[in-house]
Amino acid sequence: MAVRRSRMELIYDILIAIQNKGGIIKPTHLMYKSNLSHKLLTMYMDELIQKELILISEEFNKKRKTTSKTIALTDKGSMFLAEYRRMREFTEAFGL
Amino acid sequence: MYQLFYTPGWFNGFDLVVEGISLIVALLIAAYSWKAYKVTRENKFGYFSFAFILVALGLGFKMFTSGVLYYSSLRNVVADVLAPAVGPQLQFADLFYRGAFFLEMLSFLGAWLLIFFVSQKSRERLHQYYEVSQIGLFAYLILLISFVSNFKYSVFYLTSAVILGMTVLNYYKNYLNTNRNKNARLVMLSFLFILISNLFFIFVFIWQNFYVLGEVFLLIGFLMLLSAYRKVRK
Repeated sequence: MAVRRSRMELIYDILIAIQNKGGIIKPTHLMYKSNLSHKLLTMYMDELIQKELILISEEFNKKRKTTSKTIALTDKGSMFLAEYRRMREFTEAFGL
Repeated sequence: MYQLFYTPGWFNGFDLVVEGISLIVALLIAAYSWKAYKVTRENKFGYFSFAFILVALGLGFKMFTSGVLYYSSLRNVVADVLAPAVGPQLQFADLFYRGAFFLEMLSFLGAWLLIFFVSQKSRERLHQYYEVSQIGLFAYLILLISFVSNFKYSVFYLTSAVILGMTVLNYYKNYLNTNRNKNARLVMLSFLFILISNLFFIFVFIWQNFYVLGEVFLLIGFLMLLSAYRKVRK
């Protein structure tokens, strides 16, 4: 049975999915990579945007004449990832 | 002058240095754990931080009681501070020493017990309301042992050794569960050294120099904790 991820683990999974794609990702790809439902992902994305860990930008595709959204990791988001990795190391080392 | 046990005179002051270094290490770990608690809001980090604050407090009390014994200038300062409160009955200053020893032991025992509980895997931790009564029982036992240890100091070190022994076992399990993580091994070994130091302190009555060995092992234990902390923070 899959273990339920904590809130911090979910945020980490979202941010690492963006980082692994070179810092920019499409929302659908993010949903699959982070293994979250659309509703849950939207909820967390709102929080991450508020905390300035990610940025959403829209690009206009001239050929298709449609706009597509992309999600980018901010510098603050990268720093958060690095700090969270350190906390995970701390948790593992001290058996918390 | 009240003393728990007699230690080699030439070592006076060196143990203060050992405890000072250990206190700094304890505070560093407490501070980082508190930071982790603020970010993650997970109680285990808060409890772990509190445990190491208790360790720092215990070391602080130990440094204070030792410092008053070793240095007459500090003793005079304390006497000057106490005299207005206690008056001509300063002969009862033994009570203040006993009080400081009591607080030292209470802090250490509380810290080791908290670290033991936090180092257990979450499914083994106390969750249910009725188990809170067990926490109350442990709190009572710590108070009792701290009080009794004023008259028989070895009781405190024996109890610390037992709790630390169980903690070392928990950390050994953690070392295996984390695929033999090097930092987990370092933490396990550091608590093992602290356990060994407590074993030496139990037998100071046989040979005074066991106190020196105990302090050396305590220092090595805390330096290993510092090393683990630094590796994690990189």
